[in-house]
Amino acid sequence: MAKLLVVDDEANIRLLYAQELSDEGYQVVTAGSALEAVEKLESESFDLAVIDIKLKNESGLELLQRIVKERHTIPVILCTAFSCYKDDFSAWLADGYVVKSSDLQELKDEISRVLAKRQRGAYV
Amino acid sequence: MDWECCWSRDQIEPENCPYIGEGEEDLLVSQRRRIVEKCVECPRFKNDLARMKGSGYPLSDVLPYILTEFQEQKSQMGAMLSFLNSKTREIKFLREVGLVLQTSLDLDEVLSIAMTAITAGKGFGMNRAFLLMTDKDRRHIRGYLGVGPRDYEEAWRTWEDIGRSNFTLRQLARDFQKTKLNSEKVKFHDILNQLTVPLADQGHIFNRALLGKKPILVENALNNPDLDRGLARILGVDTFLVMPLISRNRRIGVIIADNCITHKPITLQDMQSLETFAFPVAFALERASLYERLQEEVAKQKAANVKLREQQELIVKMEKMALVGKITSSIAHSIRNPLMVIGGFARTLLKATPDQDEKRSYLESIVRETRQLEDVLSEVLDYSESLFPVTDFWDLNELVGKAMGELEGALEQAGVRCRMELAPELPMVRIDYKQISYCLKTITATALAAIEQGGELRIESVLDGDGVLLRVSDDGRPFTQTAQEALTAPFFQTQELGEGVGLSLCKSILERQGNSLSILSRPGGGNTYSIRLLTRKENI
Repeated sequence: MAKLLVVDDEANIRLLYAQELSDEGYQVVTAGSALEAVEKLESESFDLAVIDIKLKNESGLELLQRIVKERHTIPVILCTAFSCYKDDFSAWLADGYVVKSSDLQELKDEISRVLAKRQRGAYV
Repeated sequence: MDWECCWSRDQIEPENCPYIGEGEEDLLVSQRRRIVEKCVECPRFKNDLARMKGSGYPLSDVLPYILTEFQEQKSQMGAMLSFLNSKTREIKFLREVGLVLQTSLDLDEVLSIAMTAITAGKGFGMNRAFLLMTDKDRRHIRGYLGVGPRDYEEAWRTWEDIGRSNFTLRQLARDFQKTKLNSEKVKFHDILNQLTVPLADQGHIFNRALLGKKPILVENALNNPDLDRGLARILGVDTFLVMPLISRNRRIGVIIADNCITHKPITLQDMQSLETFAFPVAFALERASLYERLQEEVAKQKAANVKLREQQELIVKMEKMALVGKITSSIAHSIRNPLMVIGGFARTLLKATPDQDEKRSYLESIVRETRQLEDVLSEVLDYSESLFPVTDFWDLNELVGKAMGELEGALEQAGVRCRMELAPELPMVRIDYKQISYCLKTITATALAAIEQGGELRIESVLDGDGVLLRVSDDGRPFTQTAQEALTAPFFQTQELGEGVGLSLCKSILERQGNSLSILSRPGGGNTYSIRLLTRKENI
């Protein structure tokens, strides 16, 4: 069972993610801030992280950079309300980019695509 | 002694003197005046004087001397009088011309007066005159206007007309400007065209006259070795006057005058009179053409001002749009998260709700409405993002090909043929590639909605001045004027929220990049969307 880390500053959104992604058969761990995410990443191992770009006063893009630098084996999907970051250079580090929608299908498709790629050995 | 002449008598009868004509009857009774006016010329009187010689009269030897002297003085007086008369006429005429020239700022009026003055009998009475003027770059002297008859018949008609009228010079000039100026400009077109001479050609007679600042009378031009024989052939005369027009050392032009019809010799006096006249003409011509240029400059400045104002208005409008964009973007983002939660959980619940549960329709409504709101948000966000384009040079035809390729499915589904007429070798256009693709796709989608099954969509690209024009035409139902305005007003709703945003978004994307979108509907059916894209390097 793949283990996912979901990072979003909105509790309700974390709840929604946890609910929907568990239904898909993933093990879901949530974090409400970049700090919390880093702590969790240090104590546990994950197969994939879904990160929001706007995290209160922090930037999801910085978190993404830290992850890529320190834990390069974890693929990251950015999930955000903004479509404009797609063209941001630092967003190119992510393995996926999904615009937030009440229909989580796109996110789910992206997660399984990235995980399948990982299984083929792309991140080892 | 019996005298042959009647000089000795106080009174005479008409048959006594054959030299007294009609209207001079008073001379019959005035001996003194008769002697002075008639007898001194009379051959009979001379015979009497000869007979008197040697007759012993003491004055008889002296009288012939006195008589000869008297006649000489009389003829000199006559010549001087006629000179004085002609000078008085000339001064009067020059005064009249000068007055008009000084007060006129209109080039055509100055021309009319100058040319009428040279050719009218009341003026210098030359048969024909050509005006040549230096061009704006001061490189050439060019034929500008010719005045006069082309042949004897025309000359005769004109002289008769003028003879009948009792116009002053000013009236003649006015009449000329009103009725003849334009036709005269055309009439001598062939001759004027051949009269262009470079100002650098110092040997040419025109430049010689300008350099010497003196008129040159050319005689026997066809056989003059110093002269370009072509000029005489063009003019068709071998005697003509070349009058330089100079104002404050600036070479304004040249007047060529001749008597091509009457072949009356051009006298020194004609030349001198014309020379006096040339100065005010040159000055007035210069002033009028400067005034004309000033007017052009003023018009240019006015146009620039209007453009500046338009640009300012555009900037203000763009700033307003940017603010609208910023506000909507901020609102849209803060709506998106809660919307996602609402819609997301509704979907979760829907999945867990059995098919026959009546709550299912409520949940379905929530999901549907949320999706619609999310669509609107996406468009609103696209709109606010459109305010920050990334422009570069792109090949428009390539863009069109690619964008239309993506729409192939939609075209097929609508049953619409697409005809592309793309001009080859267009210059690159400065655009935001993604945004222009979006505009083209949005416009095509809007057009598709108007076309019926089996209709045709035409896409053309053409060069248009300093830009490229992209035209999308459909043969569907035409928009009304209100619909056209509404379609491109920001956030206007046509049928449902979201539908009208497309074109207004296109318009602001294009305007933001200094381009433009216009929509033209033909009453018979069909709409044309024209996008004008800039090829210039400067950014807006």
